[in-house]
Formats: sequence, C-alpha cells, structure tokens
Amino acid sequence: MESFAASLLNSLDIALLLFVIAVGLNIVFGVLNVINFAHGALYMLGAYFTFTIVNIWGLPYWPSLIIAPLAVAAVAIVIERVMLRYVYDRHITDSLLLTFALLLIIDDLVLMIWGPGIQVVEPPALLKGTFTVFGGRYPVYGLFVIFMGLVMVWGLWALFTKTRAGRIMRAASIDRDMAQTVGINVPMVLTGVFAFGAWIAAIGGVVAAPMRAIGPAMGDKIIIESFIVVVIGGLGSFPGTFLGAIVLGLIHGFGGRYLPDISLVLPYLGMALVLLLRPQGLMGGRGSA
Amino acid sequence: MRTPSIRSRIVRSAFAIAAAAGLAAGTAQAQEGEPVRLGAIYIMSGTASVYGQFAEQGLELAIEEINDAGGILGRPVEYELQDSQLKADVAIQAARKLVYQDGVHALMGIDSSGVAAGLVPTIPELNRSLIITHAATPDVTGKLCNRNTFRISVNINQNMKGAAMVAAETDAKRWTTIGPDYAFGHQSWEFFGNYLKEIDSSVELMDQTAFPRFGNEDFTPFINSVMDSDPDGVLISLWGGDLVNFVRQANNLGFFDKGFEVMMTVGAATEVLSALGKDMPEGVWLSTRYWFGAHDNPMNERFVEAYASKYGNPPSYNAEGAYAAVYAYKAAMEKAGSTDADKVIDALSGLTVMTPMGEVTFREGDHQATVGPTWGRTAGMNEKYGIRNLDPARTFDGRDVTPSVAETGCKM
Repeated sequence: MESFAASLLNSLDIALLLFVIAVGLNIVFGVLNVINFAHGALYMLGAYFTFTIVNIWGLPYWPSLIIAPLAVAAVAIVIERVMLRYVYDRHITDSLLLTFALLLIIDDLVLMIWGPGIQVVEPPALLKGTFTVFGGRYPVYGLFVIFMGLVMVWGLWALFTKTRAGRIMRAASIDRDMAQTVGINVPMVLTGVFAFGAWIAAIGGVVAAPMRAIGPAMGDKIIIESFIVVVIGGLGSFPGTFLGAIVLGLIHGFGGRYLPDISLVLPYLGMALVLLLRPQGLMGGRGSA
Repeated sequence: MRTPSIRSRIVRSAFAIAAAAGLAAGTAQAQEGEPVRLGAIYIMSGTASVYGQFAEQGLELAIEEINDAGGILGRPVEYELQDSQLKADVAIQAARKLVYQDGVHALMGIDSSGVAAGLVPTIPELNRSLIITHAATPDVTGKLCNRNTFRISVNINQNMKGAAMVAAETDAKRWTTIGPDYAFGHQSWEFFGNYLKEIDSSVELMDQTAFPRFGNEDFTPFINSVMDSDPDGVLISLWGGDLVNFVRQANNLGFFDKGFEVMMTVGAATEVLSALGKDMPEGVWLSTRYWFGAHDNPMNERFVEAYASKYGNPPSYNAEGAYAAVYAYKAAMEKAGSTDADKVIDALSGLTVMTPMGEVTFREGDHQATVGPTWGRTAGMNEKYGIRNLDPARTFDGRDVTPSVAETGCKM
C-alpha cells in the first residue's frame, strides 16, 4: 500500500508536468497548424530564467512564476512576428523545419549565455522536505507540481469553454477564413496563441526548475515525451492531452517501480498500441482544442 | 537533435594567444617552422557539453604552457576542435575532416563509450594516432583495439577493479545497482560484480537492478524500487545531470539514511559536486578518474594552480585527460623526432610520460595507460570551491587495477 500510494502520487506529478508542456504544443498545433519543435526549448528558457532570477539576482522563487513566463512569451511574440507568420500558408513541413532551426538556435544561445554547466535551483522553504503517505516518503514539492498542474487543467478548460477569448481561439482553429470574415483579427489571434503556448511551456519550466537539473538542451528530452502524450491522447484534443499525460505518467511512475528492466520501452509500447488500435489517439478526431 | 556548435567552425588559434603571452613574458617561444596541429573531438553541444568545455580548457592550458616553453620540436602547437554531438557518425566525419581538410598531425578526445566504439575501427584508415581522454569502454583497448588507438584515461575495468577493492572492505554483502540503460551502466555493473566475486565469493549480486533511461530526469520510482529490495550496498553509475537529479531526489526519499553503502562510479566529477554542493551527502563513496587533490607531484601542483586561477574551479578529470594527452603527444613527437604518424605511433607504444597523475605508461599490448581511479568518502565542505571533500581518498596504482593484456582480449 505504501509503495502504491507513493507511486500514484509520483505518477501524477510526472503526468501533470507533462500535461503542462504537451497542452501548449497541442494548442499551438490546433490553432496555428504548426508542430512546434522549439516548444521544449521555450520550456528550457523558463527554467533558465528562473535560475537567473533566483540564483543570480537573488530574488525569492515566487516572483519567477510571474516574470519568467512573461519574458518567454515576449520572446515568442518576436519569434512569431519575425519568422513564424511567413510559413502559415506553406506546407506543414516548412514550419517543422523552421521550428527545428529555432530549437537549434535557442539551444546554442542558451549555451552561449549560461554556459554548459549543470545548474540547480533550490525549492522555496515552504516546499522543501518530505511528508509521509501510508508509510512512504513523498516530497512536498511533488504536491506543488500536482497543484500547479491541476490549476492549469482547470484554468485552460474554463478559458476554452467559458470565455470569449477561448471561443475566438476555437473559432480560429476550426476555420481561419470564416473567423476573419466575421471580424476576428486573425493575425493578432495567431500571435497571441503562440505567445500563450510559450507562456504555458515556460510555467512548466519554472515549476520544473527546483526539481530537475537545469542544463543545455534539457528541452529536447521533454519535447519527445510531449509528442508521445499528444499521439496517445490525440493531436488537437484538450481532454486527450490530459488523458495522454496521465497514461504516460502512470507508465513512468509504476513501470519504473515494478518493471524497471523494461521501463525504457514502455512509453513507446503504449504509443504503438494506441497507434494500432486508435490511430487518431484516444480522444482524437474531433478537433476540439 | 543536436546542433553543430559554432565553436566547431572556428579555428582556435591558440598559437596566436600563446605567442602573444610568450612575447610579453619574454620567454623562449615556439616560432620556427610549420605548426604542430592537434585535432580534438569532444562533445560541445547539448546536455553534456560541460564535458567538452572542460576538455577544451585542459587542452588550451597545456598548449599555452608548451608554446611558452618552446613548442614541440621547436614548432608552435595549434589545435582544431570539432563537436562530436555525442554521435559516432558525427565523430567519424569530424575525424576525417580534421585529417583530410585541416591536416592535423594527431587526434585526441572522445567522451562517450558509444562514440569511441564507433570511431576507433575507422582510425587506422586515417593513418593517424588517436589518444582517448575520457571514453571508458574496455572494448577500445580490448577487442576493438588497434595500432593507432591509445587511451590515457581510466577505463571501466580499472575503475571497477578499484570499486570492488573498496566494496570488499565494507560489511556489505548484498549489492545492487542503479545505472544508465546503455553499455556504460551495464558494463560497470558486470565488471564490478566479476571483480567483487573474485575477491569475495560470498557476496550476493542481486537480480533486482534498476537501469533507467539516460536522461530520465525523474528517478523516484527507481529509487523506491531499490529501497524496497533492501540491499547492503548500491553501485550507482549515473553521471552528469542524471546524477544531480538522482542525488536530490534520493535525498528527498531518505535513500541515504537507510544505512547501506553507496558507491557512485563517477560521483566525484567536479561539475556534479559543484552543482550539488551540500546536497551531496556525507559518507558515500565517490570515484573519479582523476582527483585534483590526490596526486602529490610538482606537475599536478602546477596544473591545479594554473587551471584554478585561469578558469576559477579545480580541474575535472576531463580537463586532466586532455591536458595529459597534449603532453603525451609532446613526449612522443620529441622521442620520434617527427610528427609523422607512423613514427608517433611507434613512439607512443610503451612510452612512459609524466602527467598530473604521475608517470603513466601506454602498455605495448593494448595501448591502455596504467592509470588508476581515486575512490574517496565524502566529508565536510571545501569552502573555497563549494564542493565536498573526499576523506579518506584512496588512489589506486594503475598497475594494481589494470587487467593483463591477455584478459582484455586485445590482439594488435
């Protein structure tokens, strides 16, 4: 029981961090029709900005939750205005190439600015330490990750279903031309959505910073996992992203614990199964981002 | 997914810098004749690029010193650096470019076992020597060995032989491992187990082991699984950012309070120690291929002082490996009286050279240098550098931990 409870909590914190990364990827795809390879790099920027704010400027951790994502969103606006908007009308492979180039550029910029060393950000005092759950130890910080993940799930769901901004985004994703015709400023929406996706990725980076070692190309790993989440859940589906993240989190949390020898292939096995049985993903096919 | 680093395209003319420094100091300068060109291949991009940076610093420092003191054969020394991107095919291309396009006289570098195993068989066709300064797979001085390839750094055999000797002196009888799920993690466990069994046949090597994916980031499930299996001792071969993540998460879960022996096979890497600071617990065994405080000789003293004052941190093993390789080339080329590859290879084989680790010899049979690891127990903090001290630290003599040539499987 003790190991089950700890594994479940651990699966949840892995899953919700993955959700936060993957959902931004999915929103950008849904509205812009761009598969953003550089999404992981934006997550990495969020973590590095946190490092600068906490370790170099000496500020507490909390303000970085506000400052870092806004800074990354600003970077994203520049990227969208200067580069991305010119490939919307082209074949999707062009945007793939462009965002892949962006990933390489951001990776090398990070190396030049922060150097290649491994960096560590301490969690705030409030979130340090562990507590006991059914006899097993579990880090307090993991609860914070779960909390932040759930806030994002709820916030995004409310945004898409209850607000005008969310309806505009959905309209732009379903039919861009029609949205333009009914008076929506589509170019502005596209810039906003790309910045919004980056902002979410950066929140993931800020939340990950105190529990994951920060290093160059740290976004490369998580982007691959996020693609798995999106494939399992269904490209363009918001509930699918959540479900995909939970599935992958459970695979990691329980697979590593009970089947450590084959834990390496489990995520891919899960993805292959879904592709075989439901190629559009568990919740895919309705384009409901 | 890795970027060709901008660095790789820049010819680093260390000669120019060194010559300027030499002029200012008014010392003997290397300026006669065609420069001696060294080609280096290290990981300069991606998650592990800190290793490439350390190597470049060691390389740069050695070349500066040598140029200040008159160069090699009276000729100035230059180097050209290429990014391996931690991929064998990229490293092979880089080696070809260095030899055919840049005309380097000799090759050095290589950070990963996988890259080394892919590259080494292609070196003879390039007709150059290669000194490996980091990659630890036994194969490149074992079943894949060839006349052109040498290694100046500690390999898995040597490190695990030392590990087994340390482990045998503890009370731990049941051992398990947590290591990265590729050759390095599996071979470390295999060699450790074999050597430990040789010393003490009563030890139990547990079936329940954990090999998380390289770059896994969340090791919590694996840590819990090992803690549940209740071992006496755990061998950990995670490295770099993985090891930093592991130690922080293991601290949270009380892994280090369970009373079992913990041995980290690359734990005393300076980049890991400085990232972790006090988070690295006291009382665990850490190994490194070179520990700056463990070698009592004038060359080491000079190296540590020059490195620390130039780069602000004590030299890591990768800096030492690159530094030592440049001095090995100097010794070999001066013994051969030439930079001709055939003559340099003949000179390197069996050569004894002074390095910060003391005198080491490239064995004629497999071209592995007789070097040994340092295993030490973590103690209080070294406040100057913000890293844990090793006390006691035990440095193994290369001759005690290097298997015989027959055992390596090398046939020249």
